[in-house]
Amino acid sequence: MKGARLLFIDDETGLLDLYETAFSREGYQVCRAATLEEARRLLEAGNIDLVVLDIRLAEESGLALLHEIKGRTPGLPVVLSTAYARYQDDFSSWLADAYVVKSSDLTELKRTVRACLEPRR
Amino acid sequence: MRYPGRCPRRGGRRSGGAVRSVASAQLVAAVRRITQVLERVLDPETAGWATLVGLTAGQGLGFNRAFILRVQGERLEGWLGVGPRTREEGAALWHELRENGVNPISTLERPDPAVVAAEQRRLAPLLRALSCPLDETSSRWHRPLVARRGHPLAAVRRWLAQLGSHSLAVIPVIGAGELWGVVLADNFITHRPILPAVLEAASTLVQALRTAVERIELLQRLSEEERRRISAEHAAAMLETARTLAHDLKNPLTVAGGLASEVAAVVGEQGGEFSPQLAAIVDAIRHAEARLAELVAGLASRATGTPLSAVDVTATVERVLSTFRPLAARRGIRFEVENQLAGELAAAVPSYLERCIENLVGNAIEALERAQVGDGCVRLALSADRTTVRVDVADNGPPLPPTMQTDPFSGGVTTREGGGGLGLASVRRLTDAMEGRVEYDESMAGWVRFSIFLRRWV
Repeated sequence: MKGARLLFIDDETGLLDLYETAFSREGYQVCRAATLEEARRLLEAGNIDLVVLDIRLAEESGLALLHEIKGRTPGLPVVLSTAYARYQDDFSSWLADAYVVKSSDLTELKRTVRACLEPRR
Repeated sequence: MRYPGRCPRRGGRRSGGAVRSVASAQLVAAVRRITQVLERVLDPETAGWATLVGLTAGQGLGFNRAFILRVQGERLEGWLGVGPRTREEGAALWHELRENGVNPISTLERPDPAVVAAEQRRLAPLLRALSCPLDETSSRWHRPLVARRGHPLAAVRRWLAQLGSHSLAVIPVIGAGELWGVVLADNFITHRPILPAVLEAASTLVQALRTAVERIELLQRLSEEERRRISAEHAAAMLETARTLAHDLKNPLTVAGGLASEVAAVVGEQGGEFSPQLAAIVDAIRHAEARLAELVAGLASRATGTPLSAVDVTATVERVLSTFRPLAARRGIRFEVENQLAGELAAAVPSYLERCIENLVGNAIEALERAQVGDGCVRLALSADRTTVRVDVADNGPPLPPTMQTDPFSGGVTTREGGGGLGLASVRRLTDAMEGRVEYDESMAGWVRFSIFLRRWV
């Protein structure tokens, strides 16, 4: 599990900094993208083991990328990240492997990432 | 003061021809007057009352009494009535009417609510007794008739018996090709024969009543839709503002709290002296996050009402299935669609309905795949009745675990035997938001079925 490459996609660079700090300390390799274009580039380069995707990005919806990822690489786990639990109704969550509500307490996100990576490794 | 049925006319006899022409002119005048009233009234009860008074008043069609039964579900239910129950009651009522010099037809448009309520209370047991299941009536009724003892229909025989009538006008009310109700009228005291012209005039009045009630109900629905739309627009705008605000506040809080937490952990590991202070900052930020989440939840729950529009369910289902077809084909799962809709639309939010069907079809595919069902099939059935549009999504996969069968929509995540599926709780929230409902049943042997019920768009 340690050493897996995680791609965090969020338009808040502060959050990307936080994810990088926290998940690097856990022993993961962290890639980050603040736009979908950047994210697509990193995904095309390959070697990503899991994606943490914000639903509400400034330029477009993260859902579009979720559909793309699941269409091209169905086995790549995607964890949806959302600001509030009520937003669960706002997306087609059946496609994602899991979703988490954003929080400064990263325990839930770390647990979900571990759980999603386990079957693949 | 009470409004009885027709008071028997007093006075000498006139020649047959003169009586007929006077009667004919009076019928035409009465029908014209009452139908004009029906075009103006704004509530169904007043329309029904005006019709009954028109049928029974001396200056109207002159029946001794009359009753309206309306179709409700699978039954004909007594709705309104005017007139006496017995000969004695008739004598007393008509005496009172004459004594008070009341002309019921003059009060057609503005009936006294207290009088109407008293009359309905008095007749309530009789109206209940006249109610019957629809299957005792005839689906082929199109014309009014005068029924006598020995009538072939059970319901008509019972009405004759309940009312003690020798001769009963039975006027079916047809709306949009279906039975809307039945009007019954008789002359059980005066025994005056029910002439074809009177029956025809009564039928004209009754059809005018049906038109009036449909117009009133349509106006009420439109008015309610408009009220809901405005309310929903306000609520949606408020919720969107709240969500944007919350989103913009939440992210910086998450970053600050998360980084403080990380620093606290590092400092803690190194035995740094600021560890307790950092922990306090982390706590304060988490408290602020929790408060913000409560605020958003509160605003969202107050934002009631969702703007509904006319949605083509057939097109929605096709759109969903087209996205799933490649996946289903790869997994050897076939779709069957039984579409009985003939252009009926549902009152729904297009994206909500699409998500509901996506979730149900996605769950069905997932359950079939996980259970490795050899001849996996997802069957969709679309149908509608007068008020509801229904979408069934069934699959021949494994049943829900017994613990979930009582309320499969209560949790956040569904778990079919050996499989996972997201969103049944979401389907319920979305159907609730569309003023519809979702149900689960396993009444078809070997099939698990979810059914979405939505109001039919009128």
